[in-house]
Amino acid sequence: MTSDCIISTHDLNLWYGGKHALQSVTMKIPKNKVTALIGPSGCGKSTLLRCFNRLNDLIDSVKITGGILFDGQDIQAPGTDVVALRKKVGMVFQKPNPFPKSIRENVAYGPRIHGITDRYALDRIVEESLRHAALWDEVKDRLDDSALGLSGGQQQRLCIARTLAVEPDVILMDEPCSALDPIATAKIENLIDLLKREYTVIIVTHNMQQAARVSDFTGFMYLGRLVECGQTKQIFEHPADELTENYITGRFG
Amino acid sequence: MAEKFHAELDTLKKDTVKMARFGRSMLRDAVDAMVRQDTQLAESVVARKEKIHELEVELEERCYQLIALYQPMAKDMREIACTLKVITASLRIGRYGKVIAKIVNEISDAGNGPAIRSIPRTSPMMSIPHMADLAIDMIDDAIEAYDTSTLRLIEDFSSRDDTIDALRHSIFREGITHMMENPRSLTRCTHFIMVARYLERCADHACNIAENVHYMETGERIEIH
Repeated sequence: MTSDCIISTHDLNLWYGGKHALQSVTMKIPKNKVTALIGPSGCGKSTLLRCFNRLNDLIDSVKITGGILFDGQDIQAPGTDVVALRKKVGMVFQKPNPFPKSIRENVAYGPRIHGITDRYALDRIVEESLRHAALWDEVKDRLDDSALGLSGGQQQRLCIARTLAVEPDVILMDEPCSALDPIATAKIENLIDLLKREYTVIIVTHNMQQAARVSDFTGFMYLGRLVECGQTKQIFEHPADELTENYITGRFG
Repeated sequence: MAEKFHAELDTLKKDTVKMARFGRSMLRDAVDAMVRQDTQLAESVVARKEKIHELEVELEERCYQLIALYQPMAKDMREIACTLKVITASLRIGRYGKVIAKIVNEISDAGNGPAIRSIPRTSPMMSIPHMADLAIDMIDDAIEAYDTSTLRLIEDFSSRDDTIDALRHSIFREGITHMMENPRSLTRCTHFIMVARYLERCADHACNIAENVHYMETGERIEIH
């Protein structure tokens, strides 16, 4: 990978109790690019994704060894401000999960808990975030309506806007389109393409065509190992590893 | 679904090999008809043009369906891309066979008056059958390489193509010499020169298939000059 990297892992291992879920994963995530993680269910994609903003800390039996650097800093180091880390490394989940509040409040929530109280400043953040998430035109006249009244695709874009509102550097997306119809999926994919101008996106997806369409780099994982990682074009046209070839041509998985 | 896709892709490839051999047989028979002055065989080649066109449409359609329904990737995608090229090349080879077959009638002794019969045809014809054999050998090897993924068969295509080019040049010069010596040989010799050109193009199509088989197998592009 030639681009500057924003996140890197070195010999990363993770155990859920006795299960060795990530095995010696070493990879680099290039800045301002979209990196897709693909692989069969249970291969460790989401686990790896959740390492990047320490979401696995919330699980008691987890043990992690090896290094994860974000902007050159070891995020596993004691004393790391996890709240600040999660502000810089935001996450969008599989199922849209807006708060049961207004559209405006959903977006303003993050900046407010990070100390921004000025109403005009918050309004500006709300508009900018919704514009960045390609949702502004659809909701600008009903910002105070409940977010739960939006369609699934709109809710997912609202969740992306909510992530953008705290000005992250990296956006992690865990199967962001799996609960959406093809039109809403296409909108999210277009959005991902726009987002990479300003953010680094890491996306876990089971949809290989989606990985091929939206990402610049792709990592293929299998049984907790990162089998192959490289430019998306190369991975989908002529992967170097036979396992990758077999997986993306549907011969197993 | 992956199994269904791979079964369909296998059948598609087998049928493409059949089409390629059909195109090759049109060229072989056209050259044989020319050498033996067999106008009946030539007519049977011309009659096959509809069939090869139908095969082209049907097989291309099946490629497009596989792409649309399964969005193939990696080697699967390369196999379909290569198959599309093999279909086109086979159609072209078959069509050159048809064009040569049409020439057979025009230059046959039977269908022409004493003027054309008196023109020597042995000399330029000496190289044309040999050139045709070499070109058809290349086509055979290219089809076999596609069918069995045997890259060894296409390793020496560059030098074989050089030989074809040299033969075309030699036939051209030979034809010119005849035409200068005997202006009445103009029609026949011009046709011979054209046939040499068609055979050269057929060998180029074999090279084209070879390049695509190499891409299909390795993912790397090569150019055979």
